[in-house]
Amino acid sequence: MAILLVPLLVVALAVIVLVADLVPAGGTSRGLGALTAIGLFAAFVATWFVPSGVAYAAYSNDGFTEAVQRIVLAAGALSALASIDHADEHFPRRQGEYYLLLITSIFGMTLLAGARELVTLLVAFETMGIPQYVLAAMHKNRKTGIEGAVKLYLTGAISAGITMYGASFLVGTAGSTQLAVIAATPPDAMLAFGALLVLAGMGFKLGVVPFHMWVPDVYQSAPAPFVAFLSVAPKAAAVAALVRIAAHAGSSLPGLWAPVVIVLAVITLTVGNLFALPQTNVRRLLAWSGIGHAGFLLIAFAIGTAEAYAAALFYLATYVAGNTGAFFVSEAVGSKVGDEVSGWNGLARRSPGLALAMLLCLLSLGGIPFVAGFWGKLLLFRTTWNAGYHSLVVYGALLSVVGLFYYLKVARAMYVEPAVDPSPIPVGRPTMVAIVLAVAAVVGLGVAPGGFWDAAVQAGTGVELLERPQLAIPEAGSPAVLGDFPLRKEKGARPRQADPGVEGFPFK
Amino acid sequence: MPLAALTILLPLASFAILAVFWPIRHTGRPAAWLSTLTAVASFVIALLVLRDVAPMGAPPELWTMPWLVHGGRVIAEVGFRVDAVSASMLVVVTCVAACVQVYSLGYMSHEPKPALGRYYAWHSLFIVAMAGLVLAPNLLQLVAGWELVGLCSYLLIGFYWAKPSAGKAAVKAVWVTRFADIGLMCGLVLLYVETGGFAWEGFSWANPGASELVAALLFLGVMGKSAQVPLHVWLPDAMEGPTPVSALLHAATMVAAGVFLVVRCWPLFEGAETLLVAMSWIGAITALVAAITASVQTDIKKVLAYSTCSQLGYMVAGLGSGEMLGGYFHLTTHAFFKALLFLGAGSVIHAVHSNEMGEMGGLRKKIPLTAALFAIGTFALAGFPGLSGFFSKDLLLEEVAHGGQWGPLAILLFVAGLTPFYMMRVYCLVFLGEPSEKSNHAHESPLVMLAPMALLAIPAAVLGFGAGSFGELLGHEYHFAVTPVGAAATVAGLLGLGLGYAKFGMGQLASLELPGLAAFVRSGPIDNAWRLCWERGLLPVARNVGWFDRYVVDGLVNFSGWITLEAGDRIRRLQTGSAHDYLYAAALGAVLIAVAGVVGGVLA
Repeated sequence: MAILLVPLLVVALAVIVLVADLVPAGGTSRGLGALTAIGLFAAFVATWFVPSGVAYAAYSNDGFTEAVQRIVLAAGALSALASIDHADEHFPRRQGEYYLLLITSIFGMTLLAGARELVTLLVAFETMGIPQYVLAAMHKNRKTGIEGAVKLYLTGAISAGITMYGASFLVGTAGSTQLAVIAATPPDAMLAFGALLVLAGMGFKLGVVPFHMWVPDVYQSAPAPFVAFLSVAPKAAAVAALVRIAAHAGSSLPGLWAPVVIVLAVITLTVGNLFALPQTNVRRLLAWSGIGHAGFLLIAFAIGTAEAYAAALFYLATYVAGNTGAFFVSEAVGSKVGDEVSGWNGLARRSPGLALAMLLCLLSLGGIPFVAGFWGKLLLFRTTWNAGYHSLVVYGALLSVVGLFYYLKVARAMYVEPAVDPSPIPVGRPTMVAIVLAVAAVVGLGVAPGGFWDAAVQAGTGVELLERPQLAIPEAGSPAVLGDFPLRKEKGARPRQADPGVEGFPFK
Repeated sequence: MPLAALTILLPLASFAILAVFWPIRHTGRPAAWLSTLTAVASFVIALLVLRDVAPMGAPPELWTMPWLVHGGRVIAEVGFRVDAVSASMLVVVTCVAACVQVYSLGYMSHEPKPALGRYYAWHSLFIVAMAGLVLAPNLLQLVAGWELVGLCSYLLIGFYWAKPSAGKAAVKAVWVTRFADIGLMCGLVLLYVETGGFAWEGFSWANPGASELVAALLFLGVMGKSAQVPLHVWLPDAMEGPTPVSALLHAATMVAAGVFLVVRCWPLFEGAETLLVAMSWIGAITALVAAITASVQTDIKKVLAYSTCSQLGYMVAGLGSGEMLGGYFHLTTHAFFKALLFLGAGSVIHAVHSNEMGEMGGLRKKIPLTAALFAIGTFALAGFPGLSGFFSKDLLLEEVAHGGQWGPLAILLFVAGLTPFYMMRVYCLVFLGEPSEKSNHAHESPLVMLAPMALLAIPAAVLGFGAGSFGELLGHEYHFAVTPVGAAATVAGLLGLGLGYAKFGMGQLASLELPGLAAFVRSGPIDNAWRLCWERGLLPVARNVGWFDRYVVDGLVNFSGWITLEAGDRIRRLQTGSAHDYLYAAALGAVLIAVAGVVGGVLA
């Protein structure tokens, strides 16, 4: 049970919010957002106190799980904080369901982070996904809100179908739902077919081309604080799931995936960045740029070493900081002047603080030293270069330059263009706190990335299944487990130290 | 931390307060007083430091902390090095700075309040920079201070920023000194490469050939900062700044930083024999060219500027003799009497509201105190026996003669006669003769301006008698003695004074005119040569490089921008917005991926 502490805490939080919503609280249910944020933050802190180990042969808590959970919970807590003003203004009577669904989705993610068994993984995956369909439709009186949600739902449904279909091949070939067993199965066409379909299904959450088309529509129409969450947390969860499925020593899956993933990464990078260029809507711009960032994550995944996983985690952390910050600002600004870039003209003179926050986030997303995103890109490129994909690094770097072009378009509007209306833009206090926290993360990761990188390396090497599993005959009286080949008794805490083969942080 | 650190920290506090808290800066006079008090305090502290400092040769008082650390190895440190050289220079710097700041309280009193605060903020920064340079424990910190004083120079030359000429002069100062600093930087890098550090002593050269090259490269920077021909062209233009600034930065201290660098890094220069000969010649030529130019100027500040240039040439030539004491002592005395002369000129300008000597005349009656103080400066510069300039010049020339540099010596002796001549010209044109229209309305300057001048006049007059203890401090024996060289210089000086008075004071010697030479010198031949180099040499190359940059480099950049925009515009049509297409794309993608993977997997 202790191993499952974090998902259980999130479930408990869901129950608390559900009950609190039923208690009449004098007209406003504003407190629910604060409750959610505090609860998620508590779960975030709790990740440091959970013992390593495996629960029910279905969920393992290791360094990697914790890292993914931290990213997800941090994003969730920040989004809940930033949602307080938004929910109060736009759907004051439905705040309970909004936060409940948000927490439920996060619950799915925390579970997904540690799932080591296919059924658990798929259930967690759907638990994460289904609430998001509803959340995307929170603006139900806006036409675009419903449209985006329906598109999200339709694409989500078909990807779920694809994933399930692929999973059935995996189970059928390997004869077990245990990922370790699946990975140990000698590859054949059936297994490959199944694995690639699962990959395709996960690509939907990541926003990989060609499963990306819902992204701009939803990002534009859904509540901005939720979009901040949607743009980062499911990516972390999907990366976690893919790593879980692939990351077994001797697993044939990464080798099978690598060429496909690289092709997908190149296409995704290209499409994301090129489509972002002509956008005139800040949110759509961020959506397309997010697709580009998914391409970078895919590169790390294609390489499939512990260092690459570490780079992916680090990249995700920097992306969470920069992207949530950018969406929070766009929520604050967009609700007053709209999401068109031209509406942002002269923001630096109207609200210098907001403009500076946005600028820092954009610089981070663009990969400028010394804000977070720079190190994310640098470490990712270094890993890729060391893995021998030199042309990929060059191409990625080129597209980063393209990225600067559209990020700075927004910066230009804020700092160069004159303001039409000089009045400052009001920001609610919770939103302001969320923006400050996100920007602090952007700057903190940018100025002192060393410790975070070490933590990411620990997490990357801490993926519990990296060793080849030892198959053993089930002991008499052992608890019934899903799948037929339970692992031999797992060790307790595994020693946490960086793999000596992984380079430390450069430029100490 | 040594006591000397306070000479940096106090002005730093003043600068920080004035720079950050703009309401305080905008108060004007309180801001000025804050800055002035810290400057005076720095001066007092510097005197205490000098009192306790050990003579040269004793281990210096060092206080350092690591600055650049790489892989556990300390590459460079910052801190303070208090020894005879730095302590004596510190007194010179803070004394002149304090006098100039007090003087500015009167001279700048008509400035608007924010401008006054700005002026004093930069003055405080200048003391920080200059003291940081002087107290530097290694060459890297010295260069950092060097750059900072350059910045202050730029800011203060361009103080009257509304005047286009001031802006141009500020830029020109930066350009020329930066150009020279290329050499300094190369020397610094080479020093680090060769010795693994930025010290000027306490190591042995692995490659002896490099030592002279390092010194020569450093000397290039010195030529820019200390305005040696042909890099002196910025200094006369720098007179666009307020006169107290000219006194402090462009006469007494900042321009002397180049000479100070040579003194400070004397172990690097000492053995560089070829370079020393070159230094003698460059210094002597600078002294001559600048003195000739000074003789035909009509702007009182320009005369003093060229005179500064000429005296800096003297110092450099003195250092080229292979002995450091004479050059350094002349730096010290010169700082006092030249600052006095500039402040005197400022007082004159304050009285008649003009820089042109043709519009002055007969001021001795109107502003007698200024006239008397100016006379002390004039005679000190002229090397009149008994005054400070006499001793330092005598010592310097003695060393040059001792070093066997006969060519430079001859030139310097000639300049020793020319200097009193042009200074006498200034004195006669300004203070003697018939009063001009403007002179009639002149009033003596207030006490706040006269007092610092009086203070400066003391060392300008009597510092020469301290030559013995100065030499002792720097570890040299020095006793004054009458020598042929000294006698020749004194005769030349008296002759110059006499000729100058005869020509400009009494109107005799009308035949002593060289109109052709005067016109040539006034046309600014060296400025013109630079302009020619710029127009004929650099500009065509720059145009070609610019063409390449504009059409090839920028073209590629613009093309890539255009092509990405175009591509983005084309492919955005793929995003139709129709949910059907989304699903088709997803399904088709999944099938393609799976098929590709299976085919690939089977083939593999």
